[in-house]
Amino acid sequence: MSNNGVCFFAYNNKDIDYVKLALLSALYVKKFMKNNNTCLITEQGDFEYLCKSRGEELVDKAFDEVVITSVQHKHNMRLHFDSPWSKFTSEFKNSNKHLINEYSPFDKTLLLDIDYFVRNDGLDYLFDSDANVAMYQQARNLKHEDPFLYERYLNPVGIPMWWSTVVYFDKSEISNMFFDIWAHVSENYDFYKFLYNFPGALFRTDYCVSIAVHLMNGMKPGDIIDIIQNTHMVYMDQKDDLVEVKNANDWIFLANDRETPWKDITTRNYHDSIHMMNKRSLDRNWQDLLGVLDG
Amino acid sequence: MDERLAKALEFSNYRSTIENQKRNLRSRVDSLQTITYNNGSFKSNRETISFVSTLIDLGNDEIVIVDERDNPIEINDPKDFLTTLVEAYMASMNEFLAESKKLAKARSIKKIMDW
Repeated sequence: MSNNGVCFFAYNNKDIDYVKLALLSALYVKKFMKNNNTCLITEQGDFEYLCKSRGEELVDKAFDEVVITSVQHKHNMRLHFDSPWSKFTSEFKNSNKHLINEYSPFDKTLLLDIDYFVRNDGLDYLFDSDANVAMYQQARNLKHEDPFLYERYLNPVGIPMWWSTVVYFDKSEISNMFFDIWAHVSENYDFYKFLYNFPGALFRTDYCVSIAVHLMNGMKPGDIIDIIQNTHMVYMDQKDDLVEVKNANDWIFLANDRETPWKDITTRNYHDSIHMMNKRSLDRNWQDLLGVLDG
Repeated sequence: MDERLAKALEFSNYRSTIENQKRNLRSRVDSLQTITYNNGSFKSNRETISFVSTLIDLGNDEIVIVDERDNPIEINDPKDFLTTLVEAYMASMNEFLAESKKLAKARSIKKIMDW
């Protein structure tokens, strides 16, 4: 067994069952990737709840390793949408994400957010590449539009934003340095918020990694960090909805129009790996998304 | 609503949907054409295939090509590289053609979505 693998962080809160979503995301990795050893990083209580609610057999099928952490997370409230017409706030526990290089049991690791669904083997090449760290630097929604300005740059005249949704790393000096800087930015978030002039009260690891990349590149554009597949990440916005799961890589969405939010178009997506930002939509379709994996 | 207006709006929605499906398809073709070889990232398009083929025809056994990230990549077996490029190109074009034909036949949103 190669010592390559995929890790997921999942900490439940009262609104979102993150471990349940992580289980599903891991099963998609198992189906579509060759480097498909998986590891769940969670708390003892959440893991016990997962085994009890989903059954140990399914949990064993999804995860090869489990790392139990005991971390006091910073208070971090996140606003979620489920279509333009429904929203809620919930605790988002992400303050230890930079410790992944300590938690990961693998020599080469792909860290995926639990709402990132792999539907092809396009990420496998990373494990054979000489990249030390790789992430996406651009994203497009289901209508092939760029994200809003603050998800492309940290401010209107600021540095480019990198996405921490998918992070590949090895155990090199370069990757250790990257995580050290991420930790430093994370510990001094308010200072860096002032310095880089980025908005919002939410602690975003996307901003931490963007600053780490900027510093490591000598505060200039550079290529110390690889761009995954040299392309963009595809994402489903929180205001979009998944309406039909035909099979594991053929899904139909309602893509919401930003300017006229009462309008949606249907869009059918094959094979793309997708960052599924609408968690409630994922939860509604969980059983269908699981069911098609056997086909 | 006036029947003619209702039909026009329905057609407008259909056009928006089909245009987005075409963008999905082009994006899919683009990802099928992107290959990694010797740690380089290459686009299996007509330009790359023709260039590599020309270098082989001129008798070059080892070549250096600048990849999509502007890095020089050493290719020790150009024929194997060309085969990889052509296979990716053919796979992408076959899918492009098959899916384009399906879209051309789909005259309603229901047909596009298989509903």
